[in-house]
Parts: sequence; structure tokens; C-alpha cells
Amino acid sequence: MIFVLLGVSVIVFIVSRGVPSAINPLGQYITPKTRPEDIQQIIKMHGFDQPLPIQYFYWLRDAFQGDWGYSFWAQGLPTNEVFFSRFPYTIELSIASVILTVAIGLPLGIISALKNNKIPDHISRIIALTGYSTPAYWFGFILQLVFFYYFFLWGLPHLPSSLAISPILERAVPQVTSMPVLDGILAGNLNYTLDAIAHLILPAFSLAFISLGYLARIIRASMLEVLRQDYIIMARSKGLTERVVIYRHALKNALIPAVTLTGLFFAGLLGGAMITEYVFSWPGVGRASLMAISQNDTNFIMLYTLITAAIIVVANLIVDIAYLFLDPRIKY
Amino acid sequence: MTNKETRTSELQATIADIKYTLHLLRQNPLVVIGSGIAIFFILLALVANLIVNPAVANQFNFSRSYLWNNPIISWGPLARTGGPPAQPLGTDGYGRDLLQMMILAIPLDLRTAFIIVAGAALFGIILGAIASYAGGIIDEAVLRVTDIFFAFPSLVLALVFAALFGRTLDTLTLAVLFVWWPPYVRLIRGQVLAEKEKTYVEALRAMGAGHLRILFRHILPNSIYPLIVQITLDIGGVILTFSALMFLGFSPTPAIPELGNLASDGITHVFDAPWLILFPGLTIVLISLAFNLVGDGLRDVLDPRLRR
Amino acid sequence: MKQNNLILEVKDLRLDFNTYRGAVKALNGVNFKLYKHEVLGLVGESGCGKSVTALTIINLLPENAEVKGGEILFKEEDLLKKSKEQIRTMRAEEFATVFQDPMTFLNPVLNIGTQLEESFMLEKKALKAAVVAQRSQGKANINYSEFLAMKGKEDTILTNETKVSGKEIKKMAQNLCADVLRMVKLPDPERILRQYPFELSGGMRQRCMIAMALARRPSLFIADEITTALDVTIQAQILHLMRELRDTIDASTLMITHDLAVAAEIANRIAVMYAGNVVELTETREIFRRPLHPYTQLLMKAIPNVAKPVEKLESIPGTVPDLINPPTGCRFHPRCPYVMPICPTAFPKTTQPFKEHEVACYLYPQG
Repeated sequence: MIFVLLGVSVIVFIVSRGVPSAINPLGQYITPKTRPEDIQQIIKMHGFDQPLPIQYFYWLRDAFQGDWGYSFWAQGLPTNEVFFSRFPYTIELSIASVILTVAIGLPLGIISALKNNKIPDHISRIIALTGYSTPAYWFGFILQLVFFYYFFLWGLPHLPSSLAISPILERAVPQVTSMPVLDGILAGNLNYTLDAIAHLILPAFSLAFISLGYLARIIRASMLEVLRQDYIIMARSKGLTERVVIYRHALKNALIPAVTLTGLFFAGLLGGAMITEYVFSWPGVGRASLMAISQNDTNFIMLYTLITAAIIVVANLIVDIAYLFLDPRIKY
Repeated sequence: MTNKETRTSELQATIADIKYTLHLLRQNPLVVIGSGIAIFFILLALVANLIVNPAVANQFNFSRSYLWNNPIISWGPLARTGGPPAQPLGTDGYGRDLLQMMILAIPLDLRTAFIIVAGAALFGIILGAIASYAGGIIDEAVLRVTDIFFAFPSLVLALVFAALFGRTLDTLTLAVLFVWWPPYVRLIRGQVLAEKEKTYVEALRAMGAGHLRILFRHILPNSIYPLIVQITLDIGGVILTFSALMFLGFSPTPAIPELGNLASDGITHVFDAPWLILFPGLTIVLISLAFNLVGDGLRDVLDPRLRR
Repeated sequence: MKQNNLILEVKDLRLDFNTYRGAVKALNGVNFKLYKHEVLGLVGESGCGKSVTALTIINLLPENAEVKGGEILFKEEDLLKKSKEQIRTMRAEEFATVFQDPMTFLNPVLNIGTQLEESFMLEKKALKAAVVAQRSQGKANINYSEFLAMKGKEDTILTNETKVSGKEIKKMAQNLCADVLRMVKLPDPERILRQYPFELSGGMRQRCMIAMALARRPSLFIADEITTALDVTIQAQILHLMRELRDTIDASTLMITHDLAVAAEIANRIAVMYAGNVVELTETREIFRRPLHPYTQLLMKAIPNVAKPVEKLESIPGTVPDLINPPTGCRFHPRCPYVMPICPTAFPKTTQPFKEHEVACYLYPQG
């Protein structure tokens, strides 16, 4: 696991500093306020005068100490602050997405399996596959078009198309977790919470639409596999109702691969929410990273990539642990 | 049995297999529809350059941007400006007929998708097959490297690659290819590891067959089903990723007819000229959906346990 | 004279499996009777249709199976005419099946206790009655034998005003679980209830499956190759257990096996099946003493006698027939040493050349 993270960091480092088109890293560690006399010292401190492999270790040390330089495109704030101030928003979006994905995808998959090759299966298949054939950017805009613009034109109550919370309400509640919905609930401010939820619906659904198809297909495949097993014949031969057979006997077995998937999803969402955040102007880490890439803010990109990789690795670990609970045959 | 006889009977067996697969596929209406759509697009791609003048992509006529003259649907204020001749799907931001641009874009997208998938699959399969068959350190090393690639969200890696190595069509193709091969390694690894332990491999070794021969003439053909499924599904996926790259602004020039590229023009005018995003996107959905339907149907049908 | 003792009668049962390559004519007119309290051994080689017959009785066939004719009379009602829901209830209350491979037939992620309890919990009424009986008798626990005896008499014990809490029902079910495990001679039942199938040995798992069957106090007990997956010593133990249970419980047993020896150990009568038909049916001793059907005779000859030295092992010439295009008439005729011109014309009628000994063969007068 550590190896993977190190590997990622090495690749990222080489890509951002080692290639000919890389920019001078010094630019990231100075602000307009830096005095020219200090520049030499800064160069020494971060090892810019050293050969590349040694620079890597300087960078590693800096990274651990939390010094990631400054992001000039974000008002010159320290990069890690830029990242972590936006991170909770991405987390909020991801959690909401995962909830929607499971809430819609799971039943869809189960229906598909139970009514295999009959009409409900076909319908659920089309929904699922359309889901993951849809480009994230396109779907987001279409949602905005319909639920924001046209609803507005037609005089219907409409959903907001951007940001996480209406600007007016922005400071209405103490920022405990920085996640608007959660903060609203914690502060007991109904208005705020509802507004936050309203802002969350479209982007979360946009993300969920794409992943729920995938989940539904996996659940379907898994359920079909399980329903073919001998112990299901046994359960039916006991005279148990179909309902019990499915929910008590089949589902628990079928969920095992689904759990893997959901865990990886969540991790993937944290990274891939980029496009959706962009489309909905969601103040999360994904949108920030797009700007960083276009501005060549390599430090930010490195931080972003590392954290995302770390999350995926951790997610894998959590999934493995979840197996322990689901499948009694597995022991460590 | 002579070599020739063995090969003919193998061939007959394969043909019978294929016939059976087609029979099963025909029974699934969704797959039939999906393949129909896919074939339609492929044919369209083949004739595209004949029905539409490729030079259209280079015409920039700003006086006719964002026009739509459809009497039935009126999209918004901007649509009504401008003059007569109706383009069926309106014009894009540069005054080009959207429909013509889309038709030009289809062969480009499909071709790029095929190249990427073929390249990624070839690379991934060969690398994975050799590594997992050889075992030991090689296997470990390849596994670790693949893990590292898996830890990157694919879009990020592709974006970073593209940002650094310039924005030409070729680098973008390479960027996506770069990101797309790890799943093949995993897939083929699972298959090879399982097949390696089977007794027929031992028998082949005892008969003196060389490693490469065993790997490529025996193990790979037995593992081919999941690969076929993955390749089909990936064509749909790659189109999405590639067009996403274009959409996000990494396209070299707006003159390139590519569906994501076309859609990106429409961002600023989503509400005024929604057709610009709507139609290219819809086309991507259709193409991707077609391949996904076929791939999904194939997955159901090629599952060895379901075949009788 | 034995009519009122009849619990199951299968008449001319025909069944096809519809596959891509054609219809597999698995059952070709199966006939047999099963009487109360007896064990009928259904013997035949793999693919002859014995398991399929059992599955047809309890209606657990795969989707491509199609019953083409015949009747299955259980307690004088035709099971083939019943709805799925009715059969399901009967599976809970009347039929119990134990299958071949206890590893794959037990759910790996549920513990034994859950899997056992759910059978008891299907009959809440019975459990209620048991609680009431326990209360009135003031005993610590009702055991399984008493529970068994109460079958059918629930209404006499329960009145409208009896109040039994859910907790008591659950506790009663758990007690019965432990007790039924004792009945199948499993030590330390409480511990086993908490364990998962993979933690038990093959023999123990099979006993658990038998226990699950007993929980339903069945009238018809189907044992489908229950010893095939076990090694010989365990096999002997399980058969021993079955013999004891045969005398204690109130059910009729259909013992399906490919091993004549196993059938001989435990069955009162034996039915020999070949390619979808019952070809001979009689008492156990009789079939070994005087096998009438050529197939049975060849089977007997194929069993090597440990005492006598032989130079060559006998086998039955030919191979098992393809059921998509089965031989016409009597399906054994291509391999039969006594084949006659009439054999391929139509399947022979079942006759009784001797008392209580049925056979389906043209060698015997078809009167």
C-alpha cells in the first residue's frame, strides 16, 4: 500500500518537474509579497539547486510538513489551504451521490435479476446502460437546462444550477464541517439546510446517474450467480417464501462483490467528480484541480493526485475489512 | 488425428460456438437494437467523408453563429436571430452546420476509439499474459505497476499527460491509451492464473510444448470471452473519456470535428443555444449505448456456465 | 388391501427438458407407489431420472422443464394440478428433502442456527401449541419427539384466548433446534447452532441437513444421494442414523441412490430406474434373490463378489442412451442380451409375474 503511494508520488513528481516542459518550481513557493533577497534562501530551502532525484526528497519532506507552496490563481493562498478548504464540498457531493446510487441502483439490479429477460429486466437494463453511456458533462448541463432554465421559464419551482449554497445565505451558519448540509443540520437552521439540499440535488443526481447503472449490472450478475447455487434450491425446498429466500439467503451472498464496487466508487467519485463540479460550479476540489491544471499549478496537481490515490488505497482497505463482516469464511 | 484434421475440427467447433452465440444474442431484443445502432454508426462513419465535404470544418462564418430555424421548437432568444436557410440541427458557434459537423465527427471518434481500445488491449493483454504466466518477480513487478495506475483516477492522469505533452490529436489519443490498459492486465491475469493450474497445461508441458506456444495457442484462446466483452464495453467508455478531454478544453483547435469539441462550444450558451450541447452529446450517448448494449449482452451470453 | 396405506403414487410421469439442442426426454412414464412408514429405494445410474423424479414431486425444477403427462398423487391429491403457492406450503409442512452435497447446499454466510430455526419458524401455530403444552405440563422444555407427536393436533391445544409472545415462540424454536440436533446425534448442539457450515465436517453437515428436514415433521422424506459425497465410514454412520430415524419418525422415505448396496441397507422396497423409466420394483431381498429385468440382472453381475475370485470384471455393454434421441420402445433394448423384435415398438407394460414384484419387460407375459 505504501509502495503504491510512493510510486504514485514518484510518477507525479517526475511528470511535474522532470519533463522538459515543466515550469520552474520556484514560482510556486513565492508570493507577490516575497522579498527578492529571500529568494536565494527559498531556493536553498526547497532544494531547487539540487539534481532532480535529491529534489524529490526535499519535496517529500516539504509534503510531510504540509508546505505545498502557494497557489497564485487562488488569491495566492497556500496550496494546502486551497485544497483542504474545498475538500469538504467534494466529500459532501460524493456522499450524496453514493447514497443516491445505492438507493436507485440496488433495487434496479435486484429487479433485473429476479425478472431476468423479462420486461422489467429490459427496462432496468436500458436505464442502467444509458446511465453509464452518458457523458458526465453533458448530463449535468441537460439537467440544468431542464430543471433550472426551463422550469424557470415555465414558472415552475426550479432547482439552482450552481454553487453549493445560495450566496445570500453563505455565512448564515458557523462552518463546522464545511459541508453545507451537515452544517445546516448541526446549526438547526432549516432554511439553510433546505437550500443546501436544493443545491445538492442536481449535481448529486448527475453523478449518481452514471454510476448507478454500473452498480445495477454488478448486482444483477451477482444475484443471478447466487440464485443458481445449490443452497438456494435447498432454501426453496424448505418451503420458505420467495421473499425470504431472496432477502435472507440470496442477497447477503450477492452483496459481497457489490460492496467492493461501492467502496471503489466512492473513491473514484472523489477523483472523478471533477467534471460534475465544473459543470455545476461546485466549490469542490475537482473544479479547483481543473483550474490548477490549466494554470500549471503543479503543486496543487501533485497534492490532488496524491490525496486521491491515498483515498483509493484506503477505500480498498475498508472494503477488505467490510468483507470480514459479510463473509464469515474470511479470517485474518 | 493429423494436424490438419485437428485444425479443421477445431475450426468447426469454433464455428458451432459462434453460431450458438449468435442464436443466444438474437433472443435478446436489446442486443439486437444495440448492434443495429452500432452498425448504423459504423456504416455512417465509413461514408461520412463522401456525403459531407470535410472542408466544412474549416469554415468559420461568424455571422451565422448559433442559428436555429426550426418552426416547431424555439429554444430561446438567440435562435431567432439570423437568416433563412435552415440547417436541420442549427449552426454552431462558428456558423457551421451542426449536422454536417457531427457527421464528420463520427468517423474521427470511432476511429480514435478503436485505435485506443485496440492499443490498450493489445498492450495490456500481452503484458499481463506474459507476466502472470511467468510468475515470480516479473509478475509482482507488473502487478505493482498496475496497482499504481489503478490508484489514479483515470481522467486526472489523462489530463495531466495531455497538459504536459501538448495538445495534438495524437498526444490526446496516447493519453487515453496510457490510462486504459491496466484493466486488461488484471483481466488477463485472472484468466491466465486460473488456466495455468489446469491439467491440460501440465499435459502440454509433458508433451514438450514451449511456454510461448502454450500461452498463445492454448491459454489465450480459452480466455478470450471476457476480453471480447471488455473490449466492446470499452469502445463505449473510451469515446466518453476522449470526448471529455476535448470538452474540457484540451482540443488543439475548434476546427477538429469531434463530438466533445463541438459540445464544448456550447457551454457558454447552454440556455440560449442548447442544441449545441444537446445533439453532439446525444450522439455520444447513442454510440456509447449501442456498444454497451452489445457488450452487456455478450457478457450475459458468453458466461461459460450459462451455455448449454 | 394396502390402498389406505398409500401415501404417494406416481403414475405415468413424463417430463422433458427444453434445450438448444432439442428436448431431453428425461422421464418416460415413471410409475411407482410409496406406502406409509416404508423406505423405497430409487436406484439407477447417473442420468436415469431419479433425482428429476424427486424434484418433480416437490416442484423444484429448472425453468426449461416441462411436465408432459402423468399424475403425482400425494394423499390422493394430484400435485401437478396444484398452484405454486400450495406446493410451497406443502414443502414447508409435508415434504422434506436432504440433498447430496452438504457443502454447496448449505448457505455459507448463515449459521446453522439460523438455517435450522427458519424451518421451525414457518409453522408459528405449531410453535404456539408447543409453548402452551409446555406451560400446561410445567416442564422445562418440550423435546422433539413430543413436538412430533403434536403434529396435526394443534387446534385441540390452542384456544382463541391463548396468548403467546414472540419471544416465547423464538425460544421454543431455539430449544427445538438444539433438541433436533441431538436427535441426529450431534454433540454440543448449542455450539453448533452458532457455527457456520464451513466450520463443520462433511458428516456433521449432512446430519445438520437431516435435522433441517426433521424440523418440518414431514410425511414424505426425500433423500437424494445423501451419502454419495461422503466417505465410506461416514456413509455407514449416516445410514445407521437413517435406520434409527426410520423407526422413530412418522414419515415415508424415498431413498435415491446409485449404489445398490446403500439401498439394500435401508430400503424396504427397491425400484430400479433406467433412462427415465422404472423397470423393476419389489422388496429388497427379492430383488437380490430373483432379479427379473435384464438390466437389474446385469447390474447384479457387475458387482464384484469379494469372496469369489474373478478374472474379468463384468460390465454392461454399450453406453447410457442419449435422451434427446432415445431408443424407441424399451429404452434398454440396444444393450439388452435378450432383445426381441417387439422391444423397439413400444414401452412394455408393467406386470407382476410374482407377488409384489413388478417388472416392465417383454420377457414376461403382458397380460
